[in-house]
Amino acid sequence: MTEAVLPQRIVTTPPPLAYRLYSVWYRHIRVYCKHLISNGFPPFVEPLFFLAGVGLGLGHYVGLIDGTPYLLFLASGMIAPSSMFTAAFECTFGTFIRLEFDKAYDGMVSASITVTDLFVGEMLFVGTKGFFFTLAVMSVFTVFGLVPSYFAILTPLVGFFAGMMFGALSLFVTSFVKTINHFNFFLTGCLTPMFFFSGIVFPITNLPEWIQWVSEVFPLTHSARLIRACCFGQFSSLLFFDILFMVAFTIVFGYLAVSRLEKRLIQ
Amino acid sequence: MTENAIYVKHATKHFGDFKAVDNLSFEVNKATCFGLLGPNGAGKTTMMKMLTGRVRSDSDNGRIINVLGYDPAKNELEIRYLAGIVPQENNLDVELSVSQNLYIYSKFYGLPHNVASRRISELLEFMELTEKKEARIRELSGGMQRRLVIARALINSPHLLILDEPTTGLDPQVRQAIWDKMRMLKKTGVTIVLTTHYMDEAAQLCDDLIIMHKGEKILQGHPRALISKNLETYVLEILNTDVFSTIEAKGFRTEETAGRLMLYGDRLSSLETVTEPLNAGDFFLRPVNLEDLFLKVTGRNLHD
Repeated sequence: MTEAVLPQRIVTTPPPLAYRLYSVWYRHIRVYCKHLISNGFPPFVEPLFFLAGVGLGLGHYVGLIDGTPYLLFLASGMIAPSSMFTAAFECTFGTFIRLEFDKAYDGMVSASITVTDLFVGEMLFVGTKGFFFTLAVMSVFTVFGLVPSYFAILTPLVGFFAGMMFGALSLFVTSFVKTINHFNFFLTGCLTPMFFFSGIVFPITNLPEWIQWVSEVFPLTHSARLIRACCFGQFSSLLFFDILFMVAFTIVFGYLAVSRLEKRLIQ
Repeated sequence: MTENAIYVKHATKHFGDFKAVDNLSFEVNKATCFGLLGPNGAGKTTMMKMLTGRVRSDSDNGRIINVLGYDPAKNELEIRYLAGIVPQENNLDVELSVSQNLYIYSKFYGLPHNVASRRISELLEFMELTEKKEARIRELSGGMQRRLVIARALINSPHLLILDEPTTGLDPQVRQAIWDKMRMLKKTGVTIVLTTHYMDEAAQLCDDLIIMHKGEKILQGHPRALISKNLETYVLEILNTDVFSTIEAKGFRTEETAGRLMLYGDRLSSLETVTEPLNAGDFFLRPVNLEDLFLKVTGRNLHD
C-alpha cells in the first residue's frame, strides 16, 4: 500500500478570540443600527407610559413604600426590565430568524468564526443593547426628577450584565424551539410573571414566603435589586449575592445554550 | 509532481440510521476544479460540509480528511480561514449595502480597514458589481446576489473555494460569466470544489469529478474521459412513440422511457440509417454528454 500523499500544511493564523467576538458584535451592531429609530424608540418609551399610567394613576392610592413615594419606587424598578425585554426579544425571535430564515449564522460560521464565537459575541451585543436601553430609560427618568442618587450612573453597567444574562437564558430557550410560535410560551409564561414578581411594581417582602423564594430564582429580581440600589444610592453587602447570582446564571445558561446550539449548527 | 489540496479517505457520515456519505475517498490536486455530482440526497452537500467541519464525519478507524494540511475535526478555524464557502442559499444581510456586506465579512477574517477597502474594490470589479457598490441587497437581481455571495467568499483571498450549486436558477449570461471567473481563479492557483446538478457546468469546469449515488461513489474521472470510457459516442433519441415498433434497433444499446426510445452507437452513419424512414420532428441525433452518463449510472427514477 502506498503512503497517503497528504496536502502540505499552509501555515496560517486566524484572528484571536477577542477579535472574533468583536467582529460578531460589530456585525450585529451594524445591522441593528440600520433601523435604530424604529428598533430603539418603542422599548424606551414603553416604561414611560407604564410609569405614567400605573405610577400616577395607581400611585395616588398607594402612598409610601418603605418610606419612598410610590412613583420613585416604581421608576427605580422600571429601569430593570428594559434590558430584559430587549435581550429576550433579540435572542428569541432575532436569533431564530438568523438561525432558520436568514441563514445568517450559516454564513458566519463559514468564515473563520466558531459557534462559540457566534453566540458569545451575540451575548455581548445584547449586553450592549441592555447598557443603552438602561441608560436611555434612566436618563429620561432623571429628567423627570425620578432618580434621586448620582449612583444611578452605574445602572447601565448593571443593564449590560443583565442583558448578557437574559441573552444567555433566551438563547437557551431558543435552542429548544422548532417553530417561532413557541416563543409565546417563554414570553408570556416566563417573562410576564417575572415582571410582576421581581419586586419591580411592588415589593416582594409582603408576599407569601414561598413566592418570595420563587422570586429569588428569577434573574430579574437580582438585576432589579441592583438597579434600585444604584438609583437610591443605598448599598448593602447582600447585593454581593445578586452579583454572584447574575454571573453564575449567565455562565451556566450561556454554556448550555452554546453547546445546544452547536449541535444544531454542526451536525 | 502535482500537489494535493484535499485528501479524503473512507469518509462516512450517518444521520441517525441514514447513511448520507458512505466510505468516500478522493484527492483534489492544487489549482484544479473538483466536482461532486449526484441526484438530490446523494450526499454531495454533506461531503462538502465535512471538509470545513460544518458536518462532523463518523470517527471510524482509518478515516482521513485533510484539507490544506489540516484536519477539520481539529483545525476547523484554520480551514475556514483559508477557504471561501459559497452556500446553496444566498444569505446576505438584506438590510445592508453591497459593500457593507463585504466589509462585515472582512472583519470576520480580521482584515485591517485599508486592506479590506482595497480588496472590496478589487472584488466588486472582478464580479462586475462596482456600479452596485452602494445598492441595497433587495435592489439586486438573483444573478447579482449570487455574484456578491461569491465575492464575499473571496474576501480573504482563499486558497480553496467551495461552491454548493453556484449557478442554480441563474440565466445563461450569468452562468457563463461565473464559469469564466472560476477559470480565472483556477489560473491564479485557487483550488475549487463544487457541487452541481448541471452536467454542462461540470463538463465546463471540472478537471476531475465523482458521481455519487446514495452516499457512494459510482464513478470518478475527467468528464470527457468518463464519457468516452462508459458510453458510446452518439445517441439517437426517437420522440414519436408511434414509430417505436418499427425501429430496427439491433446492434445498438437501447433505453426506453415513457416518451422516448434511445439508441446508443459509436458510428454516426449507422444511426443515420435508422433515421431514414423517420420524419424530421420524430428524432434527435446528437453526441452523448455527461448527462447521459449521469442518468445511466444513477438511473432515471426520481430520487426525491
